[in-house]
Amino acid sequence: MELLGYFVSALTPLNLLMALGGVVLGTVIGALPGLSATMAVAVLVPFTFTMDPATGLIALGAIYTGAIYGGAFAAILVNTPGTPSAIATTFDGFPMAKRGDGSLAVTLATLASVVGGLVGGVFLLLLSPPLAKVALAFGPPEYFWLAIFGLTLISALSVGNTLKGLLGGCIGLMLAMVGVAVVGGDIRFTMGTHTLLGGFDIVSALIGLYCIPVLIDLVATPDRHLKVEQGNRGIRLPEAFTLAWKSKFNVVRSAIVGTIVGILPGAGGSIAGLVSYSEARRSSKEPETFGKGAPDGLMATEAANNATVGGGFIPTLVLGIPGTPPDAIILGALLVQGIKIGPTLFSQQGDIVYTFIFGLLIATALMLPAGLLIGRYAYKSIASIPKTLLVPTIAFLTVIGSFAIHSNLHDVKMMLSLGVIGWILNRCGFAPSPIVLGLVLGKIAEQGFVQSYLIGNATNNITGMFFGRPISLAIVALAVFTLVYPLIFAKRKEKAQKRAIDAARTYAQSNGETTVTDVQEIKAPKFDPLAGIKKQIAKPRDLAGMVLSGLLILCAAWAFSETSNMTPMGSVFPGTISVAIIALSLALLLLNFARKPATANNADMATNVSVPRRIALVVVMAIWVFAIPVLGFATAAILAFLVLARIACYEIMGPKRLLIETLAAIAIVGGLYLLMADVLLIRMPAGLLF
Amino acid sequence: MRKLAIAAAMAAILVSGTAFAEYPEKTINYIIPFNAGGESDVSARFQQPYLEELSGQSFVIQYMAGAGGAQAWSQLNGMEGDGYTIMGINLPHTILQPMEKDVGYETRDLTYINFFHYTPNALFVPKDSEFQNLQELIDYAKANPGLVTLSGSGSNSANHLGQVQFDELAGITTTYVPFSGTGPAVTAILGSQTTGGFNYVTSGVNNGDGMRMLAVASESRVKAFPNVPTFKELGLDIVGGAFRGVAVPKSTPEPIREKISQMVTNVNNNPEFQKKMEDAGFVLTDITYDFINDFVAAKSEEYREIAEKLGIANR
Repeated sequence: MELLGYFVSALTPLNLLMALGGVVLGTVIGALPGLSATMAVAVLVPFTFTMDPATGLIALGAIYTGAIYGGAFAAILVNTPGTPSAIATTFDGFPMAKRGDGSLAVTLATLASVVGGLVGGVFLLLLSPPLAKVALAFGPPEYFWLAIFGLTLISALSVGNTLKGLLGGCIGLMLAMVGVAVVGGDIRFTMGTHTLLGGFDIVSALIGLYCIPVLIDLVATPDRHLKVEQGNRGIRLPEAFTLAWKSKFNVVRSAIVGTIVGILPGAGGSIAGLVSYSEARRSSKEPETFGKGAPDGLMATEAANNATVGGGFIPTLVLGIPGTPPDAIILGALLVQGIKIGPTLFSQQGDIVYTFIFGLLIATALMLPAGLLIGRYAYKSIASIPKTLLVPTIAFLTVIGSFAIHSNLHDVKMMLSLGVIGWILNRCGFAPSPIVLGLVLGKIAEQGFVQSYLIGNATNNITGMFFGRPISLAIVALAVFTLVYPLIFAKRKEKAQKRAIDAARTYAQSNGETTVTDVQEIKAPKFDPLAGIKKQIAKPRDLAGMVLSGLLILCAAWAFSETSNMTPMGSVFPGTISVAIIALSLALLLLNFARKPATANNADMATNVSVPRRIALVVVMAIWVFAIPVLGFATAAILAFLVLARIACYEIMGPKRLLIETLAAIAIVGGLYLLMADVLLIRMPAGLLF
Repeated sequence: MRKLAIAAAMAAILVSGTAFAEYPEKTINYIIPFNAGGESDVSARFQQPYLEELSGQSFVIQYMAGAGGAQAWSQLNGMEGDGYTIMGINLPHTILQPMEKDVGYETRDLTYINFFHYTPNALFVPKDSEFQNLQELIDYAKANPGLVTLSGSGSNSANHLGQVQFDELAGITTTYVPFSGTGPAVTAILGSQTTGGFNYVTSGVNNGDGMRMLAVASESRVKAFPNVPTFKELGLDIVGGAFRGVAVPKSTPEPIREKISQMVTNVNNNPEFQKKMEDAGFVLTDITYDFINDFVAAKSEEYREIAEKLGIANR
């Protein structure tokens, strides 16, 4: 009953206004890659000091949950996760949008996010003190195995192309090693520059690897970015409800996984999304549709990442250990308000905490109408805006997004270079997702491994450290299950098919009237362990892959030689990875030597793909980045915007349309510039102009 | 001609003098070279409302994490020196980092303005640990060399130095396990993943119920924990921790530097601020602009000695 009282006190008009405003602002910021909840929350903290503590907290919590949800928009509509939490959303969200189901994908993401957020919030409300113990039960070995579990997703993401998937994962792991090592303190692979000291920023890598290839391919053809839907089907809410109801177990399971991963201070939304995506795929009846636009995959990620919001507040409020950067800022705000964190918080300052939790739940619920409205608008504008505006707008977003991370142009240069490299790698069959997985999970895996090793070595129990702890063993079992399951599943599906056909045949024989005409005898395939390799060898030789494996061997050999100057702690991971890269590249080379040379087929060249435009886009963006300190941020942006519009233009435009689009360019650049400089207060580089 | 030059110089001084007198006239960016939630962030958040009240301008806290702070410090002198960009700065970080390797800045290239507080190291064990006091832990470590694991934030950090000094002065061997920040290092202690850990005193305030503080590495006992003895009282001469303050780009004019230092000191003198900081476990210091360089120089020598023992004084 006491709880009900808090619920009523959360319902003041001011709290509701804060919840709604926070969710809307958060969604917009989350949808713009590079702009993060952390920035918005950090800027708004001082304003909350003037409010009642609970109201201030509601505003901050609403921004946070809105931003995690908003990340899905960019993931679905432009294949770029708006926040790292939405990495797995791109796997199925963008394919759905591509085939014309964009509004359905946005609606599904909204439903799943709301359910996930509510589940996480209810756990926060009812079970915080006991659940906080989960955060403490997770030690270094558990984090190590959790990261390894995340990496097993690579095998699922690269079906039929496992070698390249694994190599991509290793490239990502290697990128994660660059910079000052947390354990050991070595400076690794910076090649003497200071710009790489901090390593590759995950957000700028995400923008580069996912968004730049989309841009390069957008300008290459006059085709539309997304397929337009047949007829006006609106937000397709009833259809989304039916789909979501059908996979209610998936959504709830993902939300619970998200809550638990959210409780772990070292994990966060990206891992929650990846783990529940992996689980959804494993338990799905149609795992082969995953990665090609499966609604289940999209819903799993979105339910999980919004559940981490509630989950993350559990250790923050109970133990004073923030799970994520926004949690950390909110924790700081609580400290400054003089609120004592700890298990007693819930009993002694219940009015603040419970009002806040109910406010968070209300904000999550408000995400449904607000999100559907924003989503409809976002989808419509991305789907209908002409290419001459779409290409420069996305390009501008990549630049401001990567700039905003540290108010620094180095991140922009890094983003662009990684993007171009990512595009080339993708053309050679190396998908970006395994690289990103390696980059996101590399540091967690390394720290967990080295810490476990140090503790195990000190206590003379290294094996016990890695394989003797129940939670670790459970994660290992899940990882093995995920890897082996597709094999078992294939067998089972084969048997089921055989049974169905047998049944049909008996039916046909007994009755004489049959609908099955072409019954074929399904022979169980002979046991042939080399079948997979034979199938691989039967493919034509892949020259680009061979060149790349040669380059990778050289890079890995250099990396390996660098490890000799490092401390044992700092060298074990990069050393192992470079050996793995060399082994995998050699395997790829050998495989290609065994293949027959490819017959010259320039299928790609035959279609009207414009290579000059692709090159022009990259060159213009490079010049743009270097012109920013000279011309000023906004001036360079408007000029680049106009040039990029010409590169993306495939039609003859009248002066009227040119004028309208120029005005639109100034409005878009100006609006986003103001959002950055005056709302988020990011320091902008001053050039000659502005 | 000479008269003209003097007049021009006078005019310039007058103009600039009046210009500086108005400072600050707009929002000030306060850059924290770490992620949110650490001691640097929390203490800046404590200052924020008082700084705003004093100056009549808003202070915006921004984060620029990377390479243990080196990412931000190496860029500080490239930023605009108009007084509207100030940055958090930490000792021993800015002494040890350039001493160990080339991180893009040198200790004396940075313009230190004011160190306003200090967080001593402290040795923690989990609440249900068998060790009730420091001597029990030392005895156990003597009997089992290497078996005691101590968590801390990062390698070659203030926490790490504390562990090295502890080993040397107590004549024991413990295993240091570096974590990616004070938060994860405290979590490891709370969850009994390690035997204990070196961390800042402030961690004892938020997580006081889950950990026991065995000793604190300050000259005298910390106000928030009057019952916890210092290492010195227990016969080990370990004094260490982290100083935090503000720095500005090198191009910032002298009058503005002094003004910023004065503002920070004024906030430190506010009794309400003092109470809040001390309750949270911070120890206030008053190392102002006029002698801060001597202070940094003295500390540099002190840390060089320890760093040489650690084997990290490469430069």
